[in-house]
Amino acid sequence: MAFIGKDVPAQNSPALVAGAGLYTGDVKLDRMTYAHIVRSPYAAAKILSIDASAALELPGVLLVVTGEELRAKDYAMPVEGFGKGASLKPFALYPLAVGRVRYAGEGVAAVVAEDPYTAKQAALLVDVDYEDLDPVVDPERGLTADSPLVEPDWGSNVLFEIRMQAGDAGGLIAKAARTVGGELRHHRYTGAALEPRAYVADYDPHRRTLTFWASTQCPHPMRTLLAQTLHLAENDIRVIQPNVGGAFGLKIPYFQEEPLVAALSLLAGRPVRWIAERREDLLAGGHAREGHFTWQAAFEDDGLVTALKVRYVADVGAPSALAGWGQAYVTGFALPTCYKIRDTDVEVVAVTTNKCPWNAYRGFGKESSSWLMDRVMDAVARETGRDRMAVRSRNFIPPDEFPYPQNGGAVIDSGNYPQALKRVLEMIDYANFPKLKAEARAQGRYIGLGIGQELTPEGCSIAGSARFNGWDGATVRISPTGEVTVLTGVTSPGTGNETALAQIAADQLGIDVKDVRVIQGDTSLCPYGLGNFSSRGVIMGGSAVHIAAGELREKLFKVAGRMLEAAPGDLETADGRIMLKGAPFRHVGTKDVVATIYGDCHGAAACGVEPGLEATRYFRHENVYHQPETQGRYSAYPSWANQSTALIAEVDPETGVVKILRYCAVHDSGKVINPMTAEGNVHGGTAQGIGGALFEHLVYDDCGQLTTTTFMDYTLPTALEVPHIELEHQETLSPFSPLGTKGVGESGVTSPLGALCGAVEDALCEFGVRIDRLPLSPENVWTALHPKGGRA
Amino acid sequence: MIAGEFEFCAPKTLAEALALLGTHGSACKLLAGGMTLVPVMTLGLAQPAVVVSLNHLSGLDGVEDAGGVLRLGAMLRHATVAKHPSIREHLPLLAAAAAGIGDVQVRHRGTLGGSLVHAEPAADYLSATATLGARLCVRSTRGERWLTTSEFFVDVMTTALAPDEILTAIEIPKQPAGSGSAHKTLRRVEGAFPIVLASAAIGPGLAPARVGIGGVGPRPVVLDVADELRRGAGDAALAAIGDRAFEAAQHALTDLNGSGAYRREMARVYAKRAVTAALANLRAGGRS
Repeated sequence: MAFIGKDVPAQNSPALVAGAGLYTGDVKLDRMTYAHIVRSPYAAAKILSIDASAALELPGVLLVVTGEELRAKDYAMPVEGFGKGASLKPFALYPLAVGRVRYAGEGVAAVVAEDPYTAKQAALLVDVDYEDLDPVVDPERGLTADSPLVEPDWGSNVLFEIRMQAGDAGGLIAKAARTVGGELRHHRYTGAALEPRAYVADYDPHRRTLTFWASTQCPHPMRTLLAQTLHLAENDIRVIQPNVGGAFGLKIPYFQEEPLVAALSLLAGRPVRWIAERREDLLAGGHAREGHFTWQAAFEDDGLVTALKVRYVADVGAPSALAGWGQAYVTGFALPTCYKIRDTDVEVVAVTTNKCPWNAYRGFGKESSSWLMDRVMDAVARETGRDRMAVRSRNFIPPDEFPYPQNGGAVIDSGNYPQALKRVLEMIDYANFPKLKAEARAQGRYIGLGIGQELTPEGCSIAGSARFNGWDGATVRISPTGEVTVLTGVTSPGTGNETALAQIAADQLGIDVKDVRVIQGDTSLCPYGLGNFSSRGVIMGGSAVHIAAGELREKLFKVAGRMLEAAPGDLETADGRIMLKGAPFRHVGTKDVVATIYGDCHGAAACGVEPGLEATRYFRHENVYHQPETQGRYSAYPSWANQSTALIAEVDPETGVVKILRYCAVHDSGKVINPMTAEGNVHGGTAQGIGGALFEHLVYDDCGQLTTTTFMDYTLPTALEVPHIELEHQETLSPFSPLGTKGVGESGVTSPLGALCGAVEDALCEFGVRIDRLPLSPENVWTALHPKGGRA
Repeated sequence: MIAGEFEFCAPKTLAEALALLGTHGSACKLLAGGMTLVPVMTLGLAQPAVVVSLNHLSGLDGVEDAGGVLRLGAMLRHATVAKHPSIREHLPLLAAAAAGIGDVQVRHRGTLGGSLVHAEPAADYLSATATLGARLCVRSTRGERWLTTSEFFVDVMTTALAPDEILTAIEIPKQPAGSGSAHKTLRRVEGAFPIVLASAAIGPGLAPARVGIGGVGPRPVVLDVADELRRGAGDAALAAIGDRAFEAAQHALTDLNGSGAYRREMARVYAKRAVTAALANLRAGGRS
């Protein structure tokens, strides 16, 4: 393969690096108007009245819209569950709050004006009369009988609960000679895309068409959802995804602002632009994480874990049409991750609260599963006195047992976990670490080593879902001059998957990757596809390109065979030539074959072959199980990448500051199409994992007010806090995708959590410090070291 | 994006600026580097009717060697404070404090005077100027007055500056030749505001020997540590200094980055670290 597996520079990068990207905010239209959203200052309140008269008097204001008006037009937003995994309780949702608000920052009214400044100023003049209600802020309290309710019709604050049982974990733990257990809490944080959410809607009242530019991950599903909400024909809507300045799952539809901006254009009869301010994205752009694990494990003297029982209470925020709440389900589903534990009992309770709704965020819940398992393995190692690596290896699913049916229902496609862990420990010189640690200690320094073992289910495919499913499409076209255009249903948030798709097409067709142009993110150009989420760009989109280009390759070989007087099956292609295997001097230029098909379709070589060189094909991942009645399992996740991470961190016991000194990882996502862009993805994921473990924290006060609404307060790591990442790839091919590929989009984000917790405990082992919560902020670490307070 | 209209004035002389302030008073905000004012206006926390930019005045960004003191213009950018040869030679502690503020962009926009006037208790300059015994020159159409840091810093983000006054200059006694200096900060990440910080300046013969601590209360706290150090610069002296810092930090406030109790503990740690580093710097003849 000429290009697959090579560091081909990302095709879109030169423009992005030069500042020549075209983002939604760069879209300029005649007669453009600007929207600003009036947001609730309360976490929970009744809306008594909305008086827009003062705002409407401001010169330049065109329109003020309330939720009640959108409800009257029946602009209800469709809400989707997790197929046969977990279902949501029903609730009504509109692009603006109707009757009551459910979190601080929820949109209450929207202003449209001739310029953005006037819109913002007018929004301040919209007078909303609220009756504030007692909010649900703490999920544990939300579960009590006397708690106020986020959704009064539900009778409780439970959004969903599910129990996934394999064998009899409870019985085994009760009888086991040795058990260990604990609690673990993680905090709320989220991704911080450089480009906030941004939409431009242009409804043309004459043609009755809507063009919608969106910083989104999923243009086609967005079109479907907009059509359903606004009662438009889907073929009258065109969704265009310009360049996206970071997405991380957080730009998966369906935000209230999305149909809102489109509805505003319908109502104004003019183009409307809305770009979130940073504060609005932190308040209402989707959050993730925050939950409480209680776990118990039975184990044997050699470290073998025989049973695991987990209860996870997740604070998923207010109900929404976003996918985020599903993360709580996935956390339970992915257990016990890389390990073979026959008996497990996993209970997940997703509690709704008066906080910003969860949205999908890189990791999508499985980062929490792997984090929990790292903590379990470290605890078992401590209890048995055995090495942390040895305990993990004792429990790994053996490499010869794949595809492995995991307890949650999934079939894990492939993996070689012991090999990856062994290699990463070689990289970090694990054997020598005790000596290094002793030397540091002699200098008064406290260093520790931590292991993070991540497993990333990918390619989310939900039964019955129009948004999240296990297929995608591609069109491959060869023009008369021989250049290739790939149109794909998957999109790129700036991570370079277009380049991987070009490499796949180039290798199928035996041409230079420079002759392949990839077009993404336009519903009027591209075949229907589900876009970008769950690390699916290469898994689904790449496989579809492989199949579609394969169809054209067959046609080229058929005609070339006649030109070379050879059987098509005896041909191969490379370097722009089609040649006889074993006799490369018998060749014909691929461009000559293309010219023959276009220009000489009645001639001897091409007659009888269908004219044209264009193929649209769809790929369906077959490692998905949507028929539990006959298949005995339900699994929405076909592809399972993994990574072993080892890091060395230093802890300053006087301050609690944690600093990463060395970071090594072995990543395995099956066949890697482009090592350079794959590595870039792992780097980004790692930075976000470190950010979540050490720095990032969305903090609500007792009244449900978010106190971290700027980057002054929401602390992100900088380049100086993210260490150099020593990364190697291991390629354990997936048997379920044509090229053996898995995804890489979420890789790296998980293992910093477990590895940092382990490293901090190891560094402070002489004090018996236990880490049972994130983030590892200086004060949290200091408090773990000084449980009774007192002198540093 | 800043909602609402405001009048923007860019006077060319200090007299014009003072006249504008005299006319508009508290309806007016001064724009220096804009590192605070612009975000605060974007968030709607300040909605001044008039913004007077000081960026077109001349004479407010000088560094004047006036014998025993350096007189620094309030409009000096942090990057200049960090790099200016005179400041590095005579006020190495201030240069060190400036070098760690924010990031490259912030250091090239933000100003010495702007930061002092904002009076964020954990700002790098507050503990540094208090330790160095700075005096601040404030001007209005009514005249000029000089304030010490303890007079100038009143409370959290509150100074003695009247609505019609401009901080024009900061006068700081030169650190004695060969002094040891150290500016130590506890930050969540590079470029973030410190949680707690300590600025130590120790001259030859322990004259002076001071450590200023910030982020542990509404105003910087300065300890004269000459007595402790005179008894020997060992662990006992440092422990005594730490204890005094802990006591002095009893009004430490709680915020997202740390509780008051944690900050008190960090006051102890950072006072000791700054003094230790300043003593090492003193032994090296003040060379960094």
